[in-house]
Amino acid sequence: MSKVLEIKDIHAKIGEKEILKGLNLDLEPGKVHAIMGPNGAGKSTLSKTIVGHYDVEVTEGEILYKGKSILDMEPEERALEGIFLSFQHPVEIPGVNNAYFLRTALNAKRKHEGKEELNAAEFLREMKKYLEMLGMKADMISRSLNEGFSGGEKKRNEILQMLILEPDVIILDEIDSGLDIDALRAVSEGINLMKDGKRSFLVITHYSRILDYIKPDYIHVLKDGRIIKTAGPELVAQLEEHGYESIVEEA
Amino acid sequence: MRLSELKNKTLPEAAALLGADEKAVALERFMQIGLPNKKSEEYRYFQVEKLLDKAYRTLTYVPKPIEEAEKIVIVDGIVTHAPHGMRVYYEQCQAMDMTHFDPMYYLGHLLSPHVIKIDLDGDTDVEIEHHYTQSGALIAYRIVLINQANRHATLFESFHDEGVKDALVLYGYDTFVAPDSTLRILKNQKMEAEGYAMITSHRLQLEQRANAVIKSFDMGAGMGLQLIKADLDRYAHIDAGHLLYLNGEAQRGTVSKIIHKGEHSTSNQEAKNILDGTSRGIFDALIKVENSAKWTKAHQNSKAILLHERAYMAAKPQLEIYIDELEASHGSTTGQLDEKQLFYLRSRGISETEARKMLVIAFANTLIEQIKDSRQQEVIKTTFEEAFYAGEKDMA
Repeated sequence: MSKVLEIKDIHAKIGEKEILKGLNLDLEPGKVHAIMGPNGAGKSTLSKTIVGHYDVEVTEGEILYKGKSILDMEPEERALEGIFLSFQHPVEIPGVNNAYFLRTALNAKRKHEGKEELNAAEFLREMKKYLEMLGMKADMISRSLNEGFSGGEKKRNEILQMLILEPDVIILDEIDSGLDIDALRAVSEGINLMKDGKRSFLVITHYSRILDYIKPDYIHVLKDGRIIKTAGPELVAQLEEHGYESIVEEA
Repeated sequence: MRLSELKNKTLPEAAALLGADEKAVALERFMQIGLPNKKSEEYRYFQVEKLLDKAYRTLTYVPKPIEEAEKIVIVDGIVTHAPHGMRVYYEQCQAMDMTHFDPMYYLGHLLSPHVIKIDLDGDTDVEIEHHYTQSGALIAYRIVLINQANRHATLFESFHDEGVKDALVLYGYDTFVAPDSTLRILKNQKMEAEGYAMITSHRLQLEQRANAVIKSFDMGAGMGLQLIKADLDRYAHIDAGHLLYLNGEAQRGTVSKIIHKGEHSTSNQEAKNILDGTSRGIFDALIKVENSAKWTKAHQNSKAILLHERAYMAAKPQLEIYIDELEASHGSTTGQLDEKQLFYLRSRGISETEARKMLVIAFANTLIEQIKDSRQQEVIKTTFEEAFYAGEKDMA
């Protein structure tokens, strides 16, 4: 199969406003696709559309994941099938223990795959290696989910979930926002660990900084609800130098 | 006996009905306020008349020898067990609050031939198990709690109904929190739809620099109202927390008056309410700051989550303030589960049903996890989960 995710002529609105206006995009297995674009272009709406966010209403088009339509699937079904979104602003959930949440999510996935569920001790053993790699303090998993976490800690926690759940399509929405250099490096290491030549990445970003750490195979420019250009990594330099306006002129 | 028979009675008639002395101060106060009805401020959200109109058997309270046990056990208002060396005894109530707002406080005293007095000596943790075994009975008893200055005591209360039906329990404590001491009272109560109904009427007197922690965890179905009056002297502090998880046709909650009388006294009251089915939750709470209570700090908050469109929350936080030099706040919100939180969990492969359960339990945990003792915390968590899963099963 040459495409793991096929987005075909998607039109989507939030409230009464149409944000995606006939967007086409194919993700190839094992490739890193970066989506760049100005504010308000529809980058976050695209990620929300793929994972089935309640804000978004798809009015036209189709999304196929491994050849199967996902538009009628619930968000949890899409996740269990292997689609993962790292949120730009992960929500805080006081009272839900982080470890308990992670184990529930992992066991839901394992159950879906017909594997045996992990008990608390097995799970903690499994997690320990990732915590160290991401530079996360041990107490972060015993605290409430994202409650009182700094911006960097929240993003590391997103990556921790990604590492544990081992999804096939990974959408990283502004993963670099609010990260200092050390956090950016730790997060990038986590992401690169997942690059196994099979998984696909959709990296949504404003800036090219993250792309120094996660080497993209394709750059897509999203503007006004559509992909207006797709090129190789060399496009980043052009965007840096001339901005998004230059792309509009080329299109 | 039907308590509604006390309606419109003269003082001698009421005394005869209750078997009380006509000159009893409690009777005088009770007659002054009158039997509660749906127009009474404190009972306006609670169908008290339904309970007062029922006929109940009255019980005779004959004290028994108290056996030694790890905890205090009270069966139908009679102490059966107590820890070795703990002073638990019966006596006539010496110090009734003559300014309590609740008529059932006085009626409870009038119907109880004596009070159970518990002296909390030194730093101590005590567990009280209340058992009710008499269906169709009117069970009335009261406790007087005394602790010692500079000491820290914790009381953990649990309630066990052993399948009783249609009983009415009138219970409450008069508590005197000594200067510079801490008294923590944790109440864990799961009730059933057809079991006993309960009106608890408490009075707390906090002396100078006293610290009281009152946490109630009310779960399940049935009818139950707790009415609390707390008076705070100088530098006294009260921390009150109330968790409600209701299902079925439950009507339960808290009516309270926290009265700041002394300077620099502080209070913090927090209610978390989770309502399912056609249940009704009540949080009708007043914080009053008298003109003698300068530099008071008083904060009050109620949050409710409605899990069913027919569930109802009566939240009425109130401040009554007679001075300018203070810090005070109050607030109340009623809503549904947070959509963003629900989506976040679902986006990780957790089913909607499971995600909803996690969020409800999380909401309750923010209050349960304030309990420092991990064993007591676990007991309350277990009770909550039992009530929650039983409620889910009923709804299915």
